[in-house]
Amino acid sequence: MDIKKLAQSLHTYERRVLPELARHPYLEDLAAATGLQEVEAMRALQWLENKKAVTVETEPKELIVLDKNGQEYLKSGLPEKRFLKALQEKEIPLSKLAEKTKLTREEVNICVGLLRQKGAILLLQDKELKVKITDQGNRLLKSELPEEKFLKQNFPLITTELNPEQKHTLEQLRRRKQIIKVEVKRIKKAKLTDVGKQLISLGVRDEKFVDTITPQILRTGEWKNKTFRRYDVTINVPQISGGKKQPYRAFQDWVRTKFVSLGFNEMNGPLVETEFWNMDSLYMPQFHSARDIHDAYYIAEPKYGKLDDKLVKRVQAAHEHGGNTGSTGWKYQFDAERTHRHVLRTQGTACSARMLASKDLKIPGKYFGITRVFRHDVIDATHLPDFNQTEGIIVEEGLTFRHLVGLLKMFAKEFADTEEIRIVPGYFPFTEPSAELYAKHPQLGWIELGGAGIFRPEVVTPLLGKNISVCAWGLGIDRIGMFKLGLKDIRDLFSHDLSFLRNTPVI
Amino acid sequence: MPTITFSPDDLQKLVGQKLDEKKMTYLMDCAKAEIDAKLTNEITVKFNDTNQPYLWSPEGLARLFKNILGKQKGIPAIKVQKSQDKVIYDKRLTKIRPHIACFKATGKKIDEYLLKQLIQLQEKLAENFGRKRQKISIGVYPLKNITFPVNCKAASPDEKFTPLDFHQPASLRQTLEKHPKGKEYGHLIKNESVYPVFVDAKKSIMSLIPIINSEQTGRLKVGDDSLFFDTTGTDEESVDLVANIFAYALAERGFTIQSLTIEYSGKKVVTPSLENKKIKFNEKEIAKVLGIELKTNEVKTLLNKMGYDYQTGTVTIPSYRNDIMHQVDIIEDIGIAYGYDNFQPLPLTSYTRGATFPSQQLADTQRNLWIGLGYQEIMSAVLSNKELLYDKMSVQDFGTIQIENHISQTYSCVRTWILPILLDLLSKNKHIDYPQRVFEQGPVTIQEKEPRDEQHLAAVSTHSTATFTELRQAVETTLRNSNIAYSIEEYELDCFIPGRAAKIIINKKMAGFIGEFHPAILEKFGLHTPTAGCEINLGALK
Repeated sequence: MDIKKLAQSLHTYERRVLPELARHPYLEDLAAATGLQEVEAMRALQWLENKKAVTVETEPKELIVLDKNGQEYLKSGLPEKRFLKALQEKEIPLSKLAEKTKLTREEVNICVGLLRQKGAILLLQDKELKVKITDQGNRLLKSELPEEKFLKQNFPLITTELNPEQKHTLEQLRRRKQIIKVEVKRIKKAKLTDVGKQLISLGVRDEKFVDTITPQILRTGEWKNKTFRRYDVTINVPQISGGKKQPYRAFQDWVRTKFVSLGFNEMNGPLVETEFWNMDSLYMPQFHSARDIHDAYYIAEPKYGKLDDKLVKRVQAAHEHGGNTGSTGWKYQFDAERTHRHVLRTQGTACSARMLASKDLKIPGKYFGITRVFRHDVIDATHLPDFNQTEGIIVEEGLTFRHLVGLLKMFAKEFADTEEIRIVPGYFPFTEPSAELYAKHPQLGWIELGGAGIFRPEVVTPLLGKNISVCAWGLGIDRIGMFKLGLKDIRDLFSHDLSFLRNTPVI
Repeated sequence: MPTITFSPDDLQKLVGQKLDEKKMTYLMDCAKAEIDAKLTNEITVKFNDTNQPYLWSPEGLARLFKNILGKQKGIPAIKVQKSQDKVIYDKRLTKIRPHIACFKATGKKIDEYLLKQLIQLQEKLAENFGRKRQKISIGVYPLKNITFPVNCKAASPDEKFTPLDFHQPASLRQTLEKHPKGKEYGHLIKNESVYPVFVDAKKSIMSLIPIINSEQTGRLKVGDDSLFFDTTGTDEESVDLVANIFAYALAERGFTIQSLTIEYSGKKVVTPSLENKKIKFNEKEIAKVLGIELKTNEVKTLLNKMGYDYQTGTVTIPSYRNDIMHQVDIIEDIGIAYGYDNFQPLPLTSYTRGATFPSQQLADTQRNLWIGLGYQEIMSAVLSNKELLYDKMSVQDFGTIQIENHISQTYSCVRTWILPILLDLLSKNKHIDYPQRVFEQGPVTIQEKEPRDEQHLAAVSTHSTATFTELRQAVETTLRNSNIAYSIEEYELDCFIPGRAAKIIINKKMAGFIGEFHPAILEKFGLHTPTAGCEINLGALK
């Protein structure tokens, strides 16, 4: 950056600091000289350092500062001076000295020792022990003691800058209580570079710069004769967090939009389902292993829900002997009480069953659901007790397995961005034929993208009253979602880590 | 899902040819099976279809593979000799184990591998297909120790025998109490006054059904070359099926199968039945389901490939299968034999109108408004617990669906509101920059007379100057921008500071509430910044 632009980009703090730097290289002095807070002066130095106008060094220094008593003595005089002053008129009994001199007993003791050593006082044994000032004492009283001289200096002092005499006094004072403190401090020292000197020569004190634009400046037109300070627009700024979608929900929104654009209608259903809708209507026999107590969450209360008796009877017939579906059925005794049992929905297909039986069903019709389902699983990186499923049905006279293959191809293209798929035989209790869909995802390689099939007549006929083709499918698109979000652990889908949520991109 | 482990060399020997990886994958796909694990000379295969127990052995897989590869056409025949021996059934068992099937298999020495395979098939059939031995159970014994006729009879629980792995005789009752298998399966017969046993002509108890064989007569060893097989159960078809599956498997291993006569009171049955079923089949249905036109001879070829026999209009199903409930089951097999890869896809051409669920549209509008106000959206599990929902919030339970068989207390009920979950989130993020503003939109379930789902939206704001007013302003902004008329009234809820909570009234009904959380609540969550929140039932916004 050329020097003029650089000069225009100086902040008020920098402008105030620069001209003082030559005289006050130490941060503390600099702050005092410029009238800035120390942090403000420091910030200015950092900015100037970034602009290569100064170099800043940190020196460890032994600093001498006045302690509590030192400050007190500076105002009211050294104890020994006050002691002698009190004795000037007449001798005083030792026991009354503390009271007379307004010194502490400790200070009195120090003074007695110190002043006797200097021959400034005498102790007389009368009725009691008395203290008397000597001529030497009177002389001392009139002269300035080295200690007094020391205290009158500008603190902090730096030990290395003291002369031998001062050093001696320092030692004396350090022996006494809380007069001075020696602290090791890292002090900042700045030095102007050539750039810095050039800046000063350009006249940084120029008052014509506008730093912050205020309504006042705009209203008055004050800005008209001024130049705006240039910002360093490349410097890092503090991070902020705005409102945004939860990343996984954003992915679901994308999926939802996709389905709608493909002509699918969204369906839904209750979280608390009966076994009827969750399993029986889907021709899963009541002895099926997936209906084990270990696979579904059963509701404690109310245990049973309400159902349409006629519908239950039709499904029951299909289970027991096939009813009017042309099937042998599962050939067992259907438990009509159990079918009312409440469970937490274990599969989104329950919504498809409800849709088939609904008076709102349209033929032809395409339906999808992004549904919350629950499985009796221990939580780990790949299992959650509640998670989402995406599935649906297409109801239309004359649909065949070839349409199902066409549908699966489309899903692979839309959701996994690939035309390479494999369709292999699969098994679901409610579809026949059944298929599994594998797709070659551009980054993930071959993935199991979903399952599909044509609903069995034992499912369709009882619910719909007649058997027409219903293609059913379920897609494992969470895998793709997790990949897009860069997640490895399924628990992150429900993350409560605010920093993760704020920083994960919405896709 | 059942899994079995076997040697791939053995499978190839049974099939009669080498199978490369590609061919193996294709064949496994046809069996709806997948290779789960692979060792040098051992593979584990998982079966997705739980209704095809005839495939749960290398013999069963090889049989299907031979059909598919054209090495055999339709149903393979096995030879059965008729034995004069019989098994006499005690009618007192009718309520416990009403059906049995038995046969002898002779003339093949059992090595270690075969012994393992037989035990595996027995276990898979009894556990998975037999529903943990409740529907069917199986016993296999060395034939040499058994004297015919064998009795399947009701025994007193005090009768004694030495169960497998025991050194001393124990009563049948003790066996249920002490033997590991007795503990596992004892519940199936414990409450009966008599227990079912097999006893041979020398009155030696061969096994306690469906628990355990005897040590003396029921321990099958490497080197044995003749077997006695039994299966007992509650369902006649299943018992028959399991005997047929086993007879086929053993015959394919080189055993000679000798049938036995079961003498029930009033009837005699010869087992294994090996009876193939015939069903009517309408070829026109193939085109309706699969969308392909096939000639009769093509249909026959494809059916033969899947192990059926076919004569125009009639399909014969092998005696080892009972998974055909409807002709669609046969049509699927035709499709598999045709090859899923060979189906030309057809596009869906009918016009259908796409739309999101109506409540979803409303929810999305609200979500967007809250995001615009600077709130981070979050998404949580719907499962929660009453301690968080009520105790920590100092409010009364307002109708909660609880799970009877929860795994962890943390997820033991369905959430009835969302605000506690948001506070819980804040408590975990105290080290993150403030202000923190989050919201969640999602379902809750409330139990009144019936469980009822509601779509809720809850939001919280926490920072050094968060107040009731801030949240009320946010709520009013979202409502105003949704063109909804509302009013605000005083409200008391114990989680909020008295006088700093309000309810939102829409259409004269309470649609939600806003409040400034009481320090006592914040303390429970370990929060040190003022916090305000709101929860709205989106259903009330319509």
